Amino acid sequence: MGTQLWAILRDGFRESLDRKMFWVVATMTLLIAAVMACISFEPDKIVLLFGMWRIPAEGFDATTEMGKSQVLSVMIQFVMSTLLGWIGMMLMIIATADFYPSMMERGAIDVVLSKPIPRWVLFLFKYLGSLAFVLLQATLFVGLTFLVMGLRWNIWAPGYLMAIPLMVLLFSYIYCISVYVGVMTRSTVAAILISICAWAAYVVPPAALEVVESEPSLRANQALVRAIGFAAAIPPKTADIDYIASRWAKAGTSLDLMPQQQMTLPPEEMERLRERERSKIAANPAYSIGSSLLFEALVVGLAMWRFCRRDF
Amino acid sequence: MKDAVIDIRNVRKDFGRKVHALRGVSLRVGAGEVFGLLGPNGAGKSTLVKILLTIVRPTQAEGTLLGQPLGRRGPLAQVGYLPENLRFPAHLRGRQVLEHYAALAKVPRAVRRRRAAELLERVGMSSWGDTPASRYSKGMLQRLGIAQALMNDPKLVFLDEPTDGLDPLGRRDVRHMLADLTKRGKTVFLNSHILSELEMICDRVSILVQGQVAREGTIAQLTEHSVTYRITVAGGLDGVAAEVRKRGGVIDGNAISVAGRDAAAVNQLIDVLRGAGVLIESVTPQRFSLEDVFVEAVHGRGVGAALEAER
Ligand SMILES: Nc1ncnc2c1ncn2[C@@H]1O[C@H](COP(=O)(O)OP(=O)(O)OP(=O)(O)O)[C@@H](O)[C@H]1O
Ligand SMILES: [Mg+2]
Repeated sequence: MGTQLWAILRDGFRESLDRKMFWVVATMTLLIAAVMACISFEPDKIVLLFGMWRIPAEGFDATTEMGKSQVLSVMIQFVMSTLLGWIGMMLMIIATADFYPSMMERGAIDVVLSKPIPRWVLFLFKYLGSLAFVLLQATLFVGLTFLVMGLRWNIWAPGYLMAIPLMVLLFSYIYCISVYVGVMTRSTVAAILISICAWAAYVVPPAALEVVESEPSLRANQALVRAIGFAAAIPPKTADIDYIASRWAKAGTSLDLMPQQQMTLPPEEMERLRERERSKIAANPAYSIGSSLLFEALVVGLAMWRFCRRDF
Repeated sequence: MKDAVIDIRNVRKDFGRKVHALRGVSLRVGAGEVFGLLGPNGAGKSTLVKILLTIVRPTQAEGTLLGQPLGRRGPLAQVGYLPENLRFPAHLRGRQVLEHYAALAKVPRAVRRRRAAELLERVGMSSWGDTPASRYSKGMLQRLGIAQALMNDPKLVFLDEPTDGLDPLGRRDVRHMLADLTKRGKTVFLNSHILSELEMICDRVSILVQGQVAREGTIAQLTEHSVTYRITVAGGLDGVAAEVRKRGGVIDGNAISVAGRDAAAVNQLIDVLRGAGVLIESVTPQRFSLEDVFVEAVHGRGVGAALEAER
């Protein structure tokens, strides 16, 4: 069995490296890390290109705990929502969408299935291989940005490294849909389109809830709030990953929760936000992740069942 | 027959409600045999092989493969397979293809290395081992596929149209490789359309028609009971044509073919011809080729009728 499993994993790895998208994303990571390394901070100033420019930033001081916390929050937002959440995630979905359809092509799958390996092993190790592909990218990205933050900005937050598994987790919430569609239709295009739709379906309710809760006129409508709240509570909970990531990033440091709002919002609104933040973070990550993983296991299980039962 | 390597009974496969790909196929293939499965397109040949290899699940099946019940994956470690319309993953080079699939068949690393080199040499591809398989021509893919099927030094090899896409030299190489395999006691199960090839290499053949075995036996057995006598005459047959046809003769210019081994019937026909003053030049019994047997099996009629249909 060992020989076989190792062969499947190594093949998955080779397949990943063969994807152009892999190198595109890796290059993007390097660029982002390089750009970050060109930024540094002085009290009330952001310094670009090692002193070539100094941009005044009134009231912002990244040498204090407060400022560091703000920078870290921005980084988490950047990593989890902006960069990985949108562009990186999209690229990863595209890069991995044809793993299953291409494995299942006529004339290719026949040889594989004629080997003495149970089909479920083939299926699961392909899945793990795809996640390893994303793990590699996430490690590169988070690892490099972690080093830049530490070395250049003197922000050492080991909890930030937890963003690596969280990124893979977030990816897997969407990837399971891609695999399901890929196995059902053997079509890469269908897998990409439907998983992007599914992703939108995950992201929209929590975002809508945010909007509704911050808008007093909408907030008054109890039924609306409850309906959207219900939709947002259905796993997989992609939105929770941000909160979990920032919570873990700041765990064990003296950095505060959401300090950047303190500048811009009126005090009572700020208090409400912090309250909400606390309640969210108090919400059990184990529950959020557990229920989402359950959903993922269900979808992957269905796809696997189909893969194991069908004729080729 | 020696101990059966494949012994299946009553294998059925339906695809949906309408397509009955196999309708109760029974086969036995002995160790060391070269067995040929032939049949027209869509007869179910590939489906049968895929059932034996667990790629397709049978609607119904009994029997054994290498002594184990059908559907087990264990015996597959001893089996090699060349599918039809073969493709390999685009990210692998020729040598990597061989080593990867051998690893899936539990071949240890050192053995994989050695055999990959040997087999690349054997199928005439040694200079292509480091080229991505996606750049191969069809015949090169087929050669690599055959090498792939032999990487685990299998006891039993299934080859689905092995000479598909090969040039004449490649075909001859394949025949030599098969002969070599049987010399080493391997069993070969062949699906092919190229009857002349099967004739050259198979010990036994089955003809599959619409999911059922229509004929089975050694080539000699199959062709023996389909003897035809060919009578050539000098001059016309105008006067006796009707009588000749009545007796089952098929007229082709100044030759008459009579199906069957019934010498008495042929003699009677000769009497008729002689009686009408026709000059007989020769009477030759003709053994029919596998192709004729094939055509007959497919059309489900006598050889004569099949010949007629061909004309
Ligand atoms: N996966 C499938 N789904 C539905 N029908 C199938 C499938 N595979 C085969 N069939 C049908 O089963 C029948 C037998 O097909 P099969 O491929 O076994 O024929 P074959 O004898 O190998 O033909 P050929 O000589 O053309 O290779 C055909 O009618 C085919 O349409
Ligand atoms: Mg076929």
